[in-house]
Amino acid sequence: MHFDAFDFFRWVLSIVVTIYATVVTLQSLWGWYVWLSGSDKYVTMLRRYVIVHGLRLRFKAFWGDVLVCLLLCVAFLILWRAHVIIYDMGAKLRDVPVAHQH
Amino acid sequence: MSQSPISTEQRLLPDASRAAQDVLVVQAAGDDAILPRQLSELPRDELNHLAEEFGLDATQHKSRQALVTAIHDRRQLVASLNRDTMLDVVRWGRRPVTANASKEQLAREIARIRAMRFAGLSQPGLVALARLRGIETRDDAPVPVLVKKLKKQEGLFARLNRKRRAALGSLIARMIGEEGPSDYQFLPGEGSAASTSGPAPSATIRQDIEESGLIGGITSRIKKTADSYLNQKLDEVEARIDRKLDEIDRRLAEWRDKEIANRIRILKITLWASVIVAAVSLIYSYVMEVFVRHH
Repeated sequence: MHFDAFDFFRWVLSIVVTIYATVVTLQSLWGWYVWLSGSDKYVTMLRRYVIVHGLRLRFKAFWGDVLVCLLLCVAFLILWRAHVIIYDMGAKLRDVPVAHQH
Repeated sequence: MSQSPISTEQRLLPDASRAAQDVLVVQAAGDDAILPRQLSELPRDELNHLAEEFGLDATQHKSRQALVTAIHDRRQLVASLNRDTMLDVVRWGRRPVTANASKEQLAREIARIRAMRFAGLSQPGLVALARLRGIETRDDAPVPVLVKKLKKQEGLFARLNRKRRAALGSLIARMIGEEGPSDYQFLPGEGSAASTSGPAPSATIRQDIEESGLIGGITSRIKKTADSYLNQKLDEVEARIDRKLDEIDRRLAEWRDKEIANRIRILKITLWASVIVAAVSLIYSYVMEVFVRHH
């Protein structure tokens, strides 16, 4: 079995970072949800205020950065797909001498 | 437990035999005419007080039953009057009421009006005022007749006293100076701001003294000035609070925009890093798969 340090680094990094980011994001969202779903009248008022602020948010102020983020996500997916194609190509290239021998 | 206005009013009738003919009139009064107890159950001093509030002279009604009947008749009269006309009289008399005050509240304020200068009051207003001052008159009575009846009803001594107070008022007004005219405003009611109700005669200190006497007129003027000062200060405080709230809201919106921009920037940096690492990884994989492992 061939051990590749870079492969190991990539897998460990992607797994650890994905799990960490997911846990932290969910924790934060759950905390906000619990706090804002309180029945206290001030919390109710704050909840409505947050909703109003959310509705008053203008997409135009951030659309440039949001577009860049979307394009980067697309680029990431394309690179991911390119990895799959390269591994597939590598597997086929490895099979070429074997087929030639037979 | 709630009761309908009709049943409540039937209890208020001073004489059970008159109930049948009075129900319709009382129905028109609606909630205006609800009292916590029956009139006939009220003690004499409370009845006197109630009669005075409605502009009745309690001393003219010797027996208790006569007073109850007089109050009841006055309330029926109030119920039959037009509310807009009563508001017109209140505006003319510059009495402090809310725009949505009930008919009985308006009638009580009208009963406090002692003014005898009828300039600015409409004919229906004069009719309403005359009736509330106990004068029998027709709906279409001309204005001069109504004014004459009202002045006649005032009485000689009351008129002389008023003239004396007017002279004193003129003297005081010359000493301290007159203020310019101001528009009448209703008191702010529930859920509504004070509204200007159009042109109305402005009360001068001379008129105040003429209506209420020297001490009463000056007290009234001081009270009005104090009220005006307080209202002005309250408006200033309110405006300042509004400005502060707007400032807080604006700063919060700025903070929100800045916070979202920062989060998106962090996300962008993370995505750039991911894409760069993925590109390096792709090159590495290509080199490893195509060149190193194949050869």
